[in-house]
Amino acid sequence: MAPLLLARGITKRFGGLTAVSDVSFEIEKGSIVGLIGPNGAGKTTFFNMITGLYTPSDGDMIFDGQRINGTKPSEVTKLGIGRTFQNIRLFAHMTALENVLVGQHCRMHTGLLGTLFRTPSMRAEEKEARHKAFELLEYVGLGRNSADEMAKNLPYGDQRRLEVARALATNPKLLLLDEPTAGMNPKETDALTKLIYQVRDERDLTVLLIEHDMKVVMGISERVTVLDRGIKISEGLPREVQTDPKVVEAYLGTGHAAKGKGGGAPVFDKA
Amino acid sequence: MPNTKRYLITGGIGFAVGTFFLWNYPNLALGSAIIGGLVIAALCLLYSAPLPDMVKGGLIAGLFGAVMTIVYGPDKPGVAIIAGMLSGLGAGLLAFQRKPQATPQAGAALGAGAGAIAGAWTALALFLTAFVIAPAAGVDASEFAEHLSETVILADAMGLASDILILLFVLVFCTITGALLGAAAGAARALPLRPNIPLLAVIALPVILIPLIDRAGNLLLLDALIPIYIFILLALGLNIVVGYAGLLDLGYAAFFAIGAYTTAMLSSPHLGINISFWLVIWVAAAVAAIAGLALGAPTLPLRGDYLAIVTLGFGEIVPILFRNLGGGPPTGTLTLRFFGLPIGIEQMDLTGGNKGINPISPPNLPLIGNFEPSNKIPWYYLLIIIMGLAIFFINRLRDSRQGRAWMAMREDELAADAMGINVVRTKLLAFSMGAMFSGFGGAFYGAFIGAIFPSSFDFSVSIILLCMVILGGLGNMAGVIVGGLLIQGADKMFIPKGAELFRDIADQRALTTGGSTVGVSALQDLTQQRLLLFGIVLVVMMLIRPEGLLPNERRKAELHSDDDPININSVAAEADADPSLAA
Repeated sequence: MAPLLLARGITKRFGGLTAVSDVSFEIEKGSIVGLIGPNGAGKTTFFNMITGLYTPSDGDMIFDGQRINGTKPSEVTKLGIGRTFQNIRLFAHMTALENVLVGQHCRMHTGLLGTLFRTPSMRAEEKEARHKAFELLEYVGLGRNSADEMAKNLPYGDQRRLEVARALATNPKLLLLDEPTAGMNPKETDALTKLIYQVRDERDLTVLLIEHDMKVVMGISERVTVLDRGIKISEGLPREVQTDPKVVEAYLGTGHAAKGKGGGAPVFDKA
Repeated sequence: MPNTKRYLITGGIGFAVGTFFLWNYPNLALGSAIIGGLVIAALCLLYSAPLPDMVKGGLIAGLFGAVMTIVYGPDKPGVAIIAGMLSGLGAGLLAFQRKPQATPQAGAALGAGAGAIAGAWTALALFLTAFVIAPAAGVDASEFAEHLSETVILADAMGLASDILILLFVLVFCTITGALLGAAAGAARALPLRPNIPLLAVIALPVILIPLIDRAGNLLLLDALIPIYIFILLALGLNIVVGYAGLLDLGYAAFFAIGAYTTAMLSSPHLGINISFWLVIWVAAAVAAIAGLALGAPTLPLRGDYLAIVTLGFGEIVPILFRNLGGGPPTGTLTLRFFGLPIGIEQMDLTGGNKGINPISPPNLPLIGNFEPSNKIPWYYLLIIIMGLAIFFINRLRDSRQGRAWMAMREDELAADAMGINVVRTKLLAFSMGAMFSGFGGAFYGAFIGAIFPSSFDFSVSIILLCMVILGGLGNMAGVIVGGLLIQGADKMFIPKGAELFRDIADQRALTTGGSTVGVSALQDLTQQRLLLFGIVLVVMMLIRPEGLLPNERRKAELHSDDDPININSVAAEADADPSLAA
């Protein structure tokens, strides 16, 4: 079976800096894949190339048999890639329900005239969207009570869940999670890990996650890819990767000590 | 009976304040309006509404009544009717706020009761003032009676009869308004309608009745109201761009100009084209919408300040373009060289230059004939219909997939993009929708004024529109309407009238003391100071209530977000995101 996502020789240069260098990578349909690496390894840059925020300088990104280099983020989402953000980027001053409804935007079809004249098909679509939004909120563990709460007023863990719900609302085939457990306590982390499994099993999804927390990555991922300074240094089952000397060196050696926190693409560091 | 006690106390305070004004300014209308407002406050207590509602309702109704009567009070009859209607309206509104009515009958009964109480209280206050307090304070009774009689149409006769008539008028109008509102609210409740319908009915009623009162009272209110409404229509359009989509547009008057000039060019003898207004208004809206796209397209990559600067430039260019597209002496042909071949273009006077286009054909309807400049009533109702439709459709836009996309883009453009929202389309749609509504406004404006000049669309128009949106509450239509009423009302009614009042007082003082009017004259011409006043109001608003008078809940949260949990948490998240080591 062809992989859902296939990256071939992906390179990204920012001026003289090569953030990602000749990375090849594939994700099987239905798997949960972890992408790890010390800060500044190019994980988020890689992520942003999948979602269309950056265009690879070189190489091919193929999703579901289609080349997606240079495709706009909104188009990529339409093709079936949903994502969350490292620093939560909810629509802070919209309600939880509205956030999920926005997620469904690209799966809805009502045009301007339909909106202005509130045609029967628009009403039906809107009703269905609301129904689905409530369902998703409940699915990720946010009760109906949270639906009318403004996103910024939700507790931190719930905001992470809401981001997952919003990403699921885009009806993705591939779900990208950028450090989904960052800032969570162990209990919240456990619950989110369960949710990720549940999503994969029940919704027929493929999941790619970036994670710093080794315990989470090793516990949840079926396969792990390790990046260091833009280069893929290891790949395989979690067990294998963990004992790979190159990985140990990347984390315990120069890689960790030399670089400060706040790795990833410059775009997200401002938040 | 704690309620009764509070009711009496509030009523007493209201009475005291009202009589204080009557005492110092023996001017029936002003005092009655203030008392009316305070009576409403008292009524709230009677209906056991919470204190903040009471204060708000009473103050708003009272202040509005007071301002209306300052403006039209002293020398215009019919003010008692307005005061009575306002009191009844306020009483009715507040009575229903806490007590939803199941049937029209129950609603009418409650409304009539509320109106009657408000009317009775006002009437009693007036009566006591006229016959007890005014004489005791040494105000000449006959002079006072004269003031009273001037304020009611039918009360020609001097003395007691006319006073009683006035009091009856107030009572009757309070009761009628209250009852009508009550019936409307009750009927709407009984029908399977959404809950905001009664509120709409309550607001619509006076809006619809104003021309009739105006005609009965000869108040000439419509002359000022129609331009005010036009500006509110424009502000509603601007609110789509700035409030919903978060795109700061400093050149919005350009679309207004485009709508007006399109109408003027297509429906006046100037170019010899005379298309019916009913068609032209659509053309004008379409042209404005296309202009919105034209402005939107090159500004797509710009955000914030940069976008504001470009729109500012656009707003400056458009009036200049219209100024330069015509006027001046005929210059014959303009010769262009195209690949070396001379091509003569006859220079056309498209826009009349500085002189503008005059006259513009008015709309025409079978029964009414041409809309005449002297009769404002058809114009008023036409505008009300346009505005009603605009509000209706903008509301629909907001509560839709499209509206959510606008708001998402305002909140976080990058995340919106990642959620599958086509940012380019969404921005362009916001610009063109916003422009379209000002196209309608411009078309109406051109036809109503009957002549347009490039100077009517300069930068200050864009700024005043933006002020209206910000003062009222960015992103909230009700707020924008209130902000528009206040700013435009101040601009077109209250400040000019206030200036008159100042002048009168200064003249009076000069007469009585024989002193000079120099000190006062610097201040008295308020119309010269209007931009200063707007400036002060805006600065004060930004300092104490940046979210506007009637804020959109979201914006309110945004502007008071010192304790924004997202910010705090994202900082925490970054702190926690230190790389953990391989286990």
